[in-house]
Amino acid sequence: MKKMWVLMLVTVLLLSACSSGGGGNTASEGEQASNEITIWAWDPSFNIAALNTAKEAYAKDHPDVKINVVEYAQNDIIQKLNTGLNSGTSNGLPNIVLIEDYRAQSFLNAYPDAFKDLSSNFTASDFADYKLGPTAYDGKQYGVPFDSGVTGLYYRTDLLEQAGYKAEDLQDITWDDYIQIGKDVKAKTGKDLITLDPNDLGLIRMMIQSAGSWYSKEDGKTPDLAGNAALKEAFVTYKAMMDANVVKLNSDWSQFVAAFNNGDVSTIPTGNWITPSVRQEASQSGQWAVAPLPKMAGQPNSVHASNLGGSSWYVMNNVPGADQAADFLGSTFGSDKQLYQDLLNGIGAIGTYKPAAEGEAFSKEDEFFGGQKVFADFAKWTEEIPSVNYGINTYAIEDILVVEMQNFLNGKAIDDVLADAQKQAEAQLN
Amino acid sequence: MNTGDSLQKKNNLTGWAFISLAVIGIVAFYFYPMLQALLLSFKSGVGANLEFTGLDNYKRLFIDTTFRTAVSNTFLYLIIQVPVMIILGLFISVLLNDSTLRFRSFFRTAIFLPCVTSLVAYSVVFKYLFSADGMVNQFLMNLHVIAEPIQWITDPFWAKITIIIAVTWRWTGYNMIFYLSSLQNIDQSIYEAARIDGANAFTQFFKITVPLLKPIILFTSITSTIGTLQIFDEIMNITKGGPGNATMSISQYIYNLSFKYSPDFGYAATVSYSIVLMIIVLSIIQFKVAGDKNG
Repeated sequence: MKKMWVLMLVTVLLLSACSSGGGGNTASEGEQASNEITIWAWDPSFNIAALNTAKEAYAKDHPDVKINVVEYAQNDIIQKLNTGLNSGTSNGLPNIVLIEDYRAQSFLNAYPDAFKDLSSNFTASDFADYKLGPTAYDGKQYGVPFDSGVTGLYYRTDLLEQAGYKAEDLQDITWDDYIQIGKDVKAKTGKDLITLDPNDLGLIRMMIQSAGSWYSKEDGKTPDLAGNAALKEAFVTYKAMMDANVVKLNSDWSQFVAAFNNGDVSTIPTGNWITPSVRQEASQSGQWAVAPLPKMAGQPNSVHASNLGGSSWYVMNNVPGADQAADFLGSTFGSDKQLYQDLLNGIGAIGTYKPAAEGEAFSKEDEFFGGQKVFADFAKWTEEIPSVNYGINTYAIEDILVVEMQNFLNGKAIDDVLADAQKQAEAQLN
Repeated sequence: MNTGDSLQKKNNLTGWAFISLAVIGIVAFYFYPMLQALLLSFKSGVGANLEFTGLDNYKRLFIDTTFRTAVSNTFLYLIIQVPVMIILGLFISVLLNDSTLRFRSFFRTAIFLPCVTSLVAYSVVFKYLFSADGMVNQFLMNLHVIAEPIQWITDPFWAKITIIIAVTWRWTGYNMIFYLSSLQNIDQSIYEAARIDGANAFTQFFKITVPLLKPIILFTSITSTIGTLQIFDEIMNITKGGPGNATMSISQYIYNLSFKYSPDFGYAATVSYSIVLMIIVLSIIQFKVAGDKNG
């Protein structure tokens, strides 16, 4: 009798251990009527704030739909998505997720059925052209384009004035002119021109996109490093900047922000999403202005507009409530002109929805930027951003380039640098 | 005879019942994932589109320069880190074992305290201490040791030094505790006898303390080796592997392959298994070098 007891105990234990591995997915999951949408995003002062604005707008017509906005760091979202999607279960995943444009193709490529085709939920051609490359895959529109990463050259008018530069002097300049300005400013004021993180090649990305070029060829997979004229010039310019001794190094975001909030650097060439961080230092109000991004002297098709970062909204296919989520995106970020005015007024978030650019919020003068109509300028530049295919390997290639950039700065010849990077990328990526 | 047999069987069965829970747990949560990871390491592809590619991933290891950098960085940490931690830990523990020392427990607690801090929290603190305008630079500049700030985190050489300092701070106390506890098991009369024979403190340390602590030194060197081969948090939080992969470790490379780049879990599993292999080989070497013949 006792033996039986023990056997039974063991059997029960075994069974209970096995059942968790077996039929975990319940059939009823997909049919469950859902009036609840869960959304993951990062950055409380920007994306989350934008979501809350959209949530209010949507609640007017859909009072019964409950929207949960969950904040995670971007890295956590990527990690959770990857592990969730790979394990083949949609348990615990949200309905809507924010994905950075540089990573979008990699997700769409890695998990082809995981995201919902939103082609019928909004008109893709209403959005800035350069946003459609990353958000579409295989001819279908998966992402609702969100913020613009349109770049500009933020600069301290007071510091540049001491070196003899006026706003007009910054209108149509090349990166070489920019470095010259940096030398003059450093000589007059002792301030550095720019702050850079050696692990982050954002500056290189901005430069090459302004010339319509990227790390990989049009197919998004073949590395395009060795013969890439724009990339070569960008590397040379980067080194020239370092050699001119006008760069203050930083190693993370908070040091980056501190560098300009403390007044240690005179310019920031970066995406418009930096505006809230610049404003943080209220004592510098009126001392900032934004000029068009410098262009590359040797690249005939380089323009004064580029992009850095930016992200878009995606709907998860297999999480209950996908249709509701697609409807939410379609009727808010996908088509609501007024919403974009509110986003601009409330948060300073510049969308990429073309019809919204005529609204009054775009023509406001900004005291912090000396009365400049910065939003109107950014909206104008957004339209000029060359469209490139970020492909699926942006960050993998960049990690190779970061190493080669160090070699280049230490004296390795530029052609060897790019040739070696090409070889490595071809060996490592497939 | 018969009754003895059945009693034996009964005992056996009860024994199995007692350990069954643990066995099931270990099989389900250790061996099964290990096996799955091994299978995964023979597959390749982006995200969920995995296909069986045989030994391709293992071949790729040998031409992968980033992997080579990560391995050589990790071994650099290992070669410097493990001896430094062990020698420092031994030295401190012998000092703190002196029964005439005042505030002994205070010092012990102070040196052990870093081990209970969160890896991420202390990494972040170190990052700020060692930043270009951080406290370490200001302190050194005030003392006129250096004329301009050292780029602790953005220079390839100093970044490695920063990681080594951070890890030493965090883990030395951990080893020290092991030595302290086994030092207390050494019979004081051995030292007394040595002193009567005229052995000075040095001779006592090398001829008595070190040989008697040998099993513990072996244990700590193996655990430190395993820990160092898996080093991740410090690097992720202090330097992110930079500048330009100068501080990248194998574990961080695995993280990058899985989550930073287009996910290639197959290759990431291959790299993980390379760590397993290294740990096995290194442990065997350490056993051979330091282990006693009689175990």
